[in-house]
Amino acid sequence: MEHSGLIPTQLRRYRDRGAPDLHLQFGNRQLAQLVSVVLVAVVMTPVAFIIIRAIGAGQEGIEYLLQARNLRIVGNSIALMVTVTFLASLIGVPFAWLTSRSDLPGQRIWLVLGLLAMVIPSYLTAVTFTDAFGPKGALQQLLEPIGVDRLPNIKGFVGACLTLTFVTFPYVLLPVRAALLYSDRSLEEAGHSLGLNRWQVFAKITLPQLQPALAAGMLMVALYCLADFGAVAVMRFNAFTRAIFLQTESFRMDKASVLALVLVAMTVLILMLRSRVQHRGRHYRIGTGANRQLQTVQLGKWRLPAMLFCGTVVFVGVFIPLLVLLDWLSGRTLTNPIHVSMTELLRNTVGVSTISALTVAVAALPLALLALRASSRIDRWLVNLAYTGNVLPSIVIALALVFFASQNLLSLYQTLPLLIIGYSIRYLPFSIGATHSAFAQINPRYEEAARSLGLSARAALLRITLPLARGGILAGLALVFLNVMKELPTTLILRPIGFRTFATRIWSAYDEAFLSSIALPGFVLILVSGLVLIVILRHNDSLH
Amino acid sequence: MEFSLQTEHLTKLFDGDLPAVRDVTLRVQPGEILTILGPSGGGKTTTLRLIAGFERPTGGSIKIGDSVVADANHFVPPEKRKVGMVFQDYALFPHINVEENIAFGIRDQKREGEKQVKRMLDLVGMEADANRMPHELSGGQQQRVALARALAPNPDILLLDEPFSNLDTGLRAQVRNDVRDILLETETTAIFVTHDQQEALSLSDEIAVIFDGRLVQVATPHLIYNRPVNSQVAHFIGEANFLPGEAFGLTASSSLGAVKLFHPKSGPVQLMIRPEAIFVGHQEIGNRASIVWREFYGHYQRLGLELDDGSELIARTGVDRFFQRGDNVWISLQMPALAFDQSGDSTAS
Amino acid sequence: MMLYKRYLTLFVLTFVLVSVFAIPALTDESDALTIYSGRNESLIGPILAQFTEDTGIAVEVLYGGTSAVANQILTEGDNSPADVFIAQDGGALGALAAADLLSELPEATLDRVIDPAFVSPDGVWVGLSGRARVLVYGPETLEAMALELPGSILDFTGEEWRGVVGWAPANASFVSNVTAMRILLGDEETSQWLGDMIANDVQSYPKNTPIVQAVIDGEIAVGLVNHYYLFRFLAEDPDITAALHFFLDGDPGALINMAGAAILKTSDQPDRALMLVDYLLSDDAQEYFASTTFEYPLVETVEPAVDVPSLDEIESPDIDLSDLDDLQGTLELIEESGALD
Repeated sequence: MEHSGLIPTQLRRYRDRGAPDLHLQFGNRQLAQLVSVVLVAVVMTPVAFIIIRAIGAGQEGIEYLLQARNLRIVGNSIALMVTVTFLASLIGVPFAWLTSRSDLPGQRIWLVLGLLAMVIPSYLTAVTFTDAFGPKGALQQLLEPIGVDRLPNIKGFVGACLTLTFVTFPYVLLPVRAALLYSDRSLEEAGHSLGLNRWQVFAKITLPQLQPALAAGMLMVALYCLADFGAVAVMRFNAFTRAIFLQTESFRMDKASVLALVLVAMTVLILMLRSRVQHRGRHYRIGTGANRQLQTVQLGKWRLPAMLFCGTVVFVGVFIPLLVLLDWLSGRTLTNPIHVSMTELLRNTVGVSTISALTVAVAALPLALLALRASSRIDRWLVNLAYTGNVLPSIVIALALVFFASQNLLSLYQTLPLLIIGYSIRYLPFSIGATHSAFAQINPRYEEAARSLGLSARAALLRITLPLARGGILAGLALVFLNVMKELPTTLILRPIGFRTFATRIWSAYDEAFLSSIALPGFVLILVSGLVLIVILRHNDSLH
Repeated sequence: MEFSLQTEHLTKLFDGDLPAVRDVTLRVQPGEILTILGPSGGGKTTTLRLIAGFERPTGGSIKIGDSVVADANHFVPPEKRKVGMVFQDYALFPHINVEENIAFGIRDQKREGEKQVKRMLDLVGMEADANRMPHELSGGQQQRVALARALAPNPDILLLDEPFSNLDTGLRAQVRNDVRDILLETETTAIFVTHDQQEALSLSDEIAVIFDGRLVQVATPHLIYNRPVNSQVAHFIGEANFLPGEAFGLTASSSLGAVKLFHPKSGPVQLMIRPEAIFVGHQEIGNRASIVWREFYGHYQRLGLELDDGSELIARTGVDRFFQRGDNVWISLQMPALAFDQSGDSTAS
Repeated sequence: MMLYKRYLTLFVLTFVLVSVFAIPALTDESDALTIYSGRNESLIGPILAQFTEDTGIAVEVLYGGTSAVANQILTEGDNSPADVFIAQDGGALGALAAADLLSELPEATLDRVIDPAFVSPDGVWVGLSGRARVLVYGPETLEAMALELPGSILDFTGEEWRGVVGWAPANASFVSNVTAMRILLGDEETSQWLGDMIANDVQSYPKNTPIVQAVIDGEIAVGLVNHYYLFRFLAEDPDITAALHFFLDGDPGALINMAGAAILKTSDQPDRALMLVDYLLSDDAQEYFASTTFEYPLVETVEPAVDVPSLDEIESPDIDLSDLDDLQGTLELIEESGALD
């Protein structure tokens, strides 16, 4: 049930023989419901607002949508999504296999470096790619001796695809690797014993077993492509998010809402596809696989090509951004006359990310409890609705909130709380998913034991359930923190006047080509993201 | 205080496919060990959870000691019932050590509480393992800690849900005896739930048999075994032969000729004959039979017998006499048979 | 395992501490003057900081594109928190004036600006600095590609310029330029030109600075920008090889435009807002525009700091700045051309 999480976790649910009444398990059930209703109301506000505005646009809205330019946006988004999903799988699957089943030296390092590509914000990757692969960029310099005078500009479709492929391939890598680690080895051994060779075994036995994991990963990539703003904005590729941003920036509410509604509809379609796949698929988990001795495939003469493949992927996805930033640090571009102290940026970014992550974690508690012990249709609906953030790309939430607040809720307009609400709506599902799966892994007998030993429902929650779920909840918290910290469009649109974060600083510096003032914030952002990633990976490893 | 526990018409119905409890009326005396026995999914565990307070009854009432803990108007939450529980999977808190687990339910965390923890560790023989974490313990050790934890707050009743089912067969009998000794030593009123008839017969003062949420029979192990109230109980508990017959008061005619009955019956009946009630010998007493198969177990042997009219019976005898396949033997009944009429009832009519 | 748990606890504690420390930084100063700026922070930010330092009046600045910010004010209407609007072109100011959102400025303020072309006819906005639309080019790149500078902005639709011209279609100065073209050439011809430029693979950039940077890097050969950006690059590195080309008499590529300021009617502190506007017209501030951003100062007492043709010398197309207020029309034209896609 974990949605859009960075790391898919195996859900080890305890089968519950009894059907304990919620009021017994968690004290005041009505309170949990009431809080959930309020939260769901907040979560639903953006969608409701967009639907109302889009309908309000009426005939005009439909005409606007049917303009050839806007229909092209749909085409652009679909083309981007399909291409990137395909390319990301092309990289992700072999990378997963090499880091799980082969005797590739340094598997663990390759894996962590590969995953690092995912935590570098897409706008940062895009900005550095435009420099490295530009007409007169580093790649051209490299090719100059063989007579390449200038390269074609990568901005547009090519650049957007390139960027998103390298940002998203870990979303394929993770589930596929997990499936490879935990798939049934005995089936493969049976295949060998029936006389199939190594390739036949892979094609006929391993690959079919990977299908659910691969499909889940591909859908994740597709969703990411639809929702991503940074890469398409930097590459000036007119996908939905960029078009919506341009309309939002100019405060053209109706046009933005019409486009947003179509984008949401597309996302819902993809998610429906995904839930169908998940129903058929199995849950998976990642980890070192220390608990099982895996037979590794000897690469032999393929070892060098394999190293070269992983090396290239990691070099492009991780080291090019870092090297370009390093290059900019030397300051070969115009000096930004606006000095913003790193302390201020760090404090603002970490501060707002922390508050948002904590807010989301607390908000997720009653919903996760409700999800765990849903005993009525209302409960289940509340939980499902709380997952609305999953179908709303950040830009959509941001535009709805900024318009809503500027018209109906002036006291929140251009304030920090609105920004935090924006983040929270988007990332609440991450936290509910993490908390719910952490709860679901706890034997419900623990709580009953505590109750029969004299603890009240609330005391049992505090002394047993929460401590046991702590790891999972914290991993969810870290995940939200990571995403908020990188978040660009929400921050750009909803931030209070004068409030700067790493993301906005990088964005405005890019806007005016003050490349040297991108470097330091970029480095720090990648560094902090890397640390948080390690925390999340550690938690996942500690599960087994 | 007459009873430690009383339930009256206790009923719990679920929307889903969870096992229901229907109209269960039970009485447990202080210090008694009662076992709720029945097939899986028959509502045994639900009954236990109702007593513990984990479920709210749909109807009926529960009284623990002198206080009503659940009826139409009252519902006392589990933490106020003074009921201890040992779970099938033990449910030891994984984040705290053995000592802390045992101390968990003790209100007085000071000197008296510490003494109680020591007593409990001593009682279950886990003094040396006080500081270990649950996952470091074997199944049997976990079982003992779970027992100590449940007993530590001196509960009025101890509930045990299939407590031995997760243990190896070899270990099971030993742990069962240990637990019985501890319960007797602490004079604890205990209610077990099990689907294992051996366990129920060997451990209990009384057995309550539940089928499909309904209480079918409450009696001592001896009576449950020898005088099951209906054929369902008879089939469930122990091994039995069933022979068709025609009853006339206290006798019935059957393949074995005229058979004495416990209770007067009339008309067509099924006769229940326990394998050990059949005497098998070489002297010409009773009916002739041939041995179709034989299983030797060391301290007893099982014999498959075929009568002249083709009826088959199983007999269990001591190992003082030697039999082998193909032997012609003579069999006779050592005690009256129990007759079930067509509705499956064995009680007097 | 235990160690890992302790590590997590530490992590959470740090989190909480940091957030607590962060909160004071996040509370806003509600009495600060709220400025909506269509001018880039790098151009106007330093002088606003100087204003705060000199007067003690705190400012909060929302930065965005001029037309976007103007549209935001229009949408916010009576709810707008803005006190002062600083625009990068006259069109946006004209649009707000037309919506009757601007309050009248005193004579003394308006009189500071010598050229009446840079003052609102209704007295609701005033120019702060002037700039010329020019072509920035890389001589080396041109030479390598055997290209010659064109006589008119209209020539860039020729095949030889395919893929090597840069523009910033969302930028207000460019938008003004397009408005001027509409007046000179008519909507149809302007639209045609926009379409032909896109068909000729014109390269889009978010703002002017990246265009100049791209020309310096040799990524493109020429770019349509305001005149002062190159001087900022030259000030840091005199060795860069890029130069400016002013279009000839009457060409739609030649245009003098201005940055200006206005006070919103909704301002809750109009007095301090006026102090800011007057400050920006003071000799000090004008000197800043002249010597730091390399624009044309608009007051009599300050002269341009760099060697540029005087405003009079540049043969601006025969248009009145106040004619440039059909902002919405131009934006739609640009949007429909697909230049923003």
